[in-house]
Amino acid sequence: MDKLNENARERKQIKLGEIDTGPILVALLLGFIAVAIFVILRRRSAGRKDFLLTGLSESGKSAIFMQMLHGKFPTTFTSIKENVGDYQAGGSSARLVDIPGHYRVRDKCFELYKHRAKGIVFVVDSVTVQKDIRDVADSLYTILADSATQPCSVLVLCNKQDQTTAKSSQVIKSLLEKELNTVRDTRSRKLQSVGDDDVNKPITLGKPGRDFEFSHITQNVQFVEASAKDSELSPLTDWLARLL
Amino acid sequence: MLDFVVIFTKGGVVLWNSNASSSSFASCINSLIRGVILEERNTEAKYFEEDHLAVQFKLDNELDLVYAAVFQKVIKLTYLDGFLADMQLAFKEKFGSITSAERLGEEYDFDREYRRVLSAAEQASAKQVKAPKAMRSFNESQKSKKTVASMLQDDKKTAEKRVNIQESPPPPSTTYPSSSSPQSKQDIIAESRRKMREKLGSSKKTSPIDTKPTKAAASEKAGKKPRVWDLGGNSKDAVLLDRSKDAPEDVQYQNINSELVGTMQGVIPDLDVESEDEAESSGNEDAEEELVQSKTNKRSGGGGGLLSYFKGIVGAKTMSLADLQPALEKMRDHLISKNVASEIAGKLCDSVATSLEGKQMGTFDSIASQVKEALTQSLVRILSPKRRIDIIRDALESKRNGRPYTIIFCGVNGVGKSTNLAKICFWLIENDFNVLIAACDTFRAGAVEQLRTHTRHLNALHPAAKHDGRTMVQLYEKGYGKDAAGIAMEAIKFANDTRVDVVLVDTAGRMQDNEPLMRSLSKLIKVNNPDLVLFVGEALVGNEAVDQLVKFNQSLADFSSNENPHIIDGIVLTKFDTIDDKVGAAISMTYITGQPIVFVGTGQTYADLKAINVNAVVNSLMK
Repeated sequence: MDKLNENARERKQIKLGEIDTGPILVALLLGFIAVAIFVILRRRSAGRKDFLLTGLSESGKSAIFMQMLHGKFPTTFTSIKENVGDYQAGGSSARLVDIPGHYRVRDKCFELYKHRAKGIVFVVDSVTVQKDIRDVADSLYTILADSATQPCSVLVLCNKQDQTTAKSSQVIKSLLEKELNTVRDTRSRKLQSVGDDDVNKPITLGKPGRDFEFSHITQNVQFVEASAKDSELSPLTDWLARLL
Repeated sequence: MLDFVVIFTKGGVVLWNSNASSSSFASCINSLIRGVILEERNTEAKYFEEDHLAVQFKLDNELDLVYAAVFQKVIKLTYLDGFLADMQLAFKEKFGSITSAERLGEEYDFDREYRRVLSAAEQASAKQVKAPKAMRSFNESQKSKKTVASMLQDDKKTAEKRVNIQESPPPPSTTYPSSSSPQSKQDIIAESRRKMREKLGSSKKTSPIDTKPTKAAASEKAGKKPRVWDLGGNSKDAVLLDRSKDAPEDVQYQNINSELVGTMQGVIPDLDVESEDEAESSGNEDAEEELVQSKTNKRSGGGGGLLSYFKGIVGAKTMSLADLQPALEKMRDHLISKNVASEIAGKLCDSVATSLEGKQMGTFDSIASQVKEALTQSLVRILSPKRRIDIIRDALESKRNGRPYTIIFCGVNGVGKSTNLAKICFWLIENDFNVLIAACDTFRAGAVEQLRTHTRHLNALHPAAKHDGRTMVQLYEKGYGKDAAGIAMEAIKFANDTRVDVVLVDTAGRMQDNEPLMRSLSKLIKVNNPDLVLFVGEALVGNEAVDQLVKFNQSLADFSSNENPHIIDGIVLTKFDTIDDKVGAAISMTYITGQPIVFVGTGQTYADLKAINVNAVVNSLMK
């Protein structure tokens, strides 16, 4: 009797041993594949798909937004809230967000959208850029030094080129490089703030020791000229098409 | 009469406008947005003036739109509130079905509706003006409030007797009718007699009697009397008013209170918390009634809040002012408990109410959470600076232009001006700037010596040898008792000649309602034209912050003869380490001036100087 049981048990054990590995392995494989697909899908949906329009107040962001999405050029006032719209180019679409330029609302609004940003358009008023160079540089430095915007591409759009006194993009680029050099210097000497949050430790841009140049930073920065009034926005549409 | 009516989204895009004149009103509307809406000053008034234009506006929180009407300031248009409300209704009627995605792309043809609403509003107001004043019904008249017995009284009896017999219903206001208008001598006598009677006798009434109508009636019936002005008089009164020689009745001290002698010997007693002897009985009654009213308010508010909470969970509901009130009251009390000035807390809550009224709530939002979110957003907006603050950058710019960067520190007594000046000086010399301290506090004993000690200490920390042989900190002083404005001017000239980078001017502490001192401060600022005027305020201050800042700004604006007076540019918040999370003073100060907080002082050593972190402060406020 015992021998019979032993044989039966041995057989059972052998059978179990054979059966065990197969389906379990298959099940595990299927599970892995399912999880992998899920993760990939998740990453794609939560990925970076937005384009942000940033810049100082009165630089023409809302006008560009209206021109790009609706082909109109209405009068615009200082924005209190952001404008969000869907931009279609060829087959794909992306979300275009116009961040208000006024100092008080700019930072909070930028915080909401910066993590999902794929590309940032920094709009500069080419006529008053010389007078406001410090504010422009300060604002651009904040955007570039933010840890959340490191993988984004940046386009500096020199708007209001329809005016005769507008500076060209080359001049604006060199002005900004010089000014950003100084800003990098003064930022490093800034005071610590009350109740420091180490989450967003700003990054020092460029190569330390050498003058600041746009080619040194991680983001890909380009300079183009445009005019929202004359609906001369082809550089912007080309750049967007390339990135989509 | 309306120059410009416009409907635009909160994102800044104009949907429709009607421009009666050829000029552009963009700058006016931009000032409205920057000055009112973004500064969280949109309280009940909703009216804004600039130059010769005035703007009346209305926020539509459901569709995120702003309706604004611009007109000449001198013309007073009474129908604008109703007009804007009607415009909102008409717009919603015609275009309410458009989804938010398409809203910007639509063409808005609204002219016909606009003209219709405008003509209706104008006609209504014209009718109101033309209509004869409607006769009062018997119930509204004064006669119904008198008893028959009082009217049968003889006219020759004086007004006080009438007061005795009459019983009148409680007037709408519970506050004691203050004698704001000049009253005749008889009225004053009658008032004081009545006060005494009320004090002595027990009254069943719950509120003071309004005796003005009867007094007016009595004086009318007694015939036309010559008017006696309070401050008027003629030469016959001169004899009565002459106080050069003591009149005999003044010399005799009639009511000698001899119990006081001997009570103040020894140790000064502690502060008495309970003090009821002063309050008049009417005052007490007022307080009681207010308490009762507030209790009923709370009870009804509590019940409404619960119900609306459940309603809020269930369906999409628009928020009305009545729904928001209980949550706002709670928020207001919370802010006051965090040391925000009570006036400012009230204004903030009004602003939040305006921005949330009519907004649609999601299915799982409660009113409390929406209010909290809106309040957090407006607090962040207030604390965020409205321009770039980078003193080092600006000082570098001045250095490049070959002139010194001047900062003047002003504030009331004892807030920490000299201490924080020394801290800022240390920070600047750490960053390789040459500093000149101007000792313009020529009043307080030891002020100059204090600054001299700081200078010596700072020079010891950063000796000239380390910085190419130039002394980093110098002190410019002329002793005590001299004119502060003159010393400052000489100091700046000296800095210019010796190529000093930054000049820090220390002024004497002064109370905000001391006019001669405020004048001298204004003169100092006007004459020396500094780059930055910093108001130093301590974080411990409570409601007093409002008074201080308003009066300082007012004085600087009034006593300066310029078109654009140089008012306060920034705030230094000191003694921040003494408050743990009651950081409300920061909000009060930035709200009143609209200027950013540039430095925060957190201690007495040179390293205790920090910049403000908006998120941290708002978090500790809303905790």
